[in-house]
Amino acid sequence: MSDRLTSLHEAIEKVLPDLDGVLALKSGPGGIVSPYLFSKEHPEELAKLAIWPKEPVPDTLKIILRAHPDAKLAIVCRGCEERGIVEMFKHAQLGLDNLTLIGLQCEKDEAEFCRCAKPFTVHAKTIVGQPIEGVADPLTEQVSALSQPEKLAFWKQEFEHCIKCYGCRNICPQCFCNICALEDEKWVETGRLPMAKPSMYHLVRAMHMTAKCVACRECEETCPADIPMAVHFRLIARDVKEMFNYETGADMEQKPPQLLVLEEGEYDRTGLPH
Amino acid sequence: MMHEPKIIGFLCNWCSYRGADSAGMARLKYPPNIKIIRVPCSGRISPELVLRTFREGADAVMVLGCHIGDCHYSTGNHRTAKRMPVLKKLLEYTGIESERLYINWVSAAEGEKFATVIKDFTEKISALPPFVETMK
Amino acid sequence: MIKYENVLTTCPYCGTGCALHLQVLDNTLVGVLPAKNHIISNGGLCIKGWNAHAFVNHPDRLNKPLIRKNGKLKEATWDEALKLVADKLGAIKTESGPDSVAFLSSAKCTNEENYLMQKFARAVIGTNNVDHCARL
Repeated sequence: MSDRLTSLHEAIEKVLPDLDGVLALKSGPGGIVSPYLFSKEHPEELAKLAIWPKEPVPDTLKIILRAHPDAKLAIVCRGCEERGIVEMFKHAQLGLDNLTLIGLQCEKDEAEFCRCAKPFTVHAKTIVGQPIEGVADPLTEQVSALSQPEKLAFWKQEFEHCIKCYGCRNICPQCFCNICALEDEKWVETGRLPMAKPSMYHLVRAMHMTAKCVACRECEETCPADIPMAVHFRLIARDVKEMFNYETGADMEQKPPQLLVLEEGEYDRTGLPH
Repeated sequence: MMHEPKIIGFLCNWCSYRGADSAGMARLKYPPNIKIIRVPCSGRISPELVLRTFREGADAVMVLGCHIGDCHYSTGNHRTAKRMPVLKKLLEYTGIESERLYINWVSAAEGEKFATVIKDFTEKISALPPFVETMK
Repeated sequence: MIKYENVLTTCPYCGTGCALHLQVLDNTLVGVLPAKNHIISNGGLCIKGWNAHAFVNHPDRLNKPLIRKNGKLKEATWDEALKLVADKLGAIKTESGPDSVAFLSSAKCTNEENYLMQKFARAVIGTNNVDHCARL
């Protein structure tokens, strides 16, 4: 058992008796990992505690809290998952009062797998593992360095592979609308693959991820066509930082820009004419 | 290669559409490539609408609204000012010329500005290849 | 006590065999998660797999055999329904020959069930008209 797993085990054991449950990952048949709500009634299940591969736990948390809004829970979350929870809180998807965050710090190889700029938690009081610095994102740099026709060719080819499984939307912690624009035939036509160009599905989704994407890369990981859609989201996140000085999951108090009107000086940074 | 571009203009009812009216009343000339759609507020123009306009074969999209601070609904055009620059960036990252999406503010009194804006924009878009060609 | 767990299973829709987790909250099926480190699907699912939980508790799901009597579907016992099918299939075979009957199987059935069906088609009825739903 690795050090991190041992300390995570201890951290959960410590809080488990006082809570309704701790949401973490459990190793199932054939070593397949999935989210599981550990409870004080069955502490023996903790023997199957797992940490990798990461799973969309914020989404699972939302499902549980919708059915049990007053439940006292703890969640084992990585940096990206913590950001996901913070952003869901800002958009009134869940409450944080009864929630304990156990921050699991990613290791170098995990961060590199996710091309993660922030593989550490910032809000969690309990921390497991040593926080490390973010790693570079070679793919995003590579794509953004392409010329305009090259970019067009690159994305046309990538989006051509899309089978419209809606997996990226389903797994996204920030896709929680009851009525989804991507299911509206006005915007995304049905019954045609590959999609008409430009791909409305991906561009509309990229727009909706503005100031919402927490860079967890769950969408890319679940994509059966391996479309690197997070590249779009990351480039836009840089613009959002520049224009609106907003970073997802960083400041618990700061409201997302789409919920606000223009502030003093903000207009100048949008590059629009005066 | 020059061509006759198809430009769709979303004009806000309270300022820009009146601006187009006053350009007409002053008998100002501007290219006929722009097809004007009147909307209650430029904030009504969601990214979905712009993208669908492109998908339907438009070469360029204009969104014209009231100047910041003059919005009939006080902060409607703040939405435009927040989302359209991001959409322009997204088009750029996807390899679509971001010039194809144009945002400006035209008040009811600015008939002359309206005519100039349309003229300059049409010239700029005529120099680009037709959008549907680039999507093939 | 809140109970949340994931049950690992195989997607019922086609023959690929993608693994998925059924999300079970308080003994009720609430959703589907792909299985990440599974050798076949590797964390991916298609739109059918993503909605594989939808039919389980659907109110439109058939629980009992129905027989149309006087234009209306009425609940029937399995004996009644099977007798009706057997009689009619037998009658069609005698009247128009075995090749007037076709068999459509399903990827939702097991290998053994599918084997049985083609055996029934070929050995009992005497036709090679066998096909299945999963022509993906």
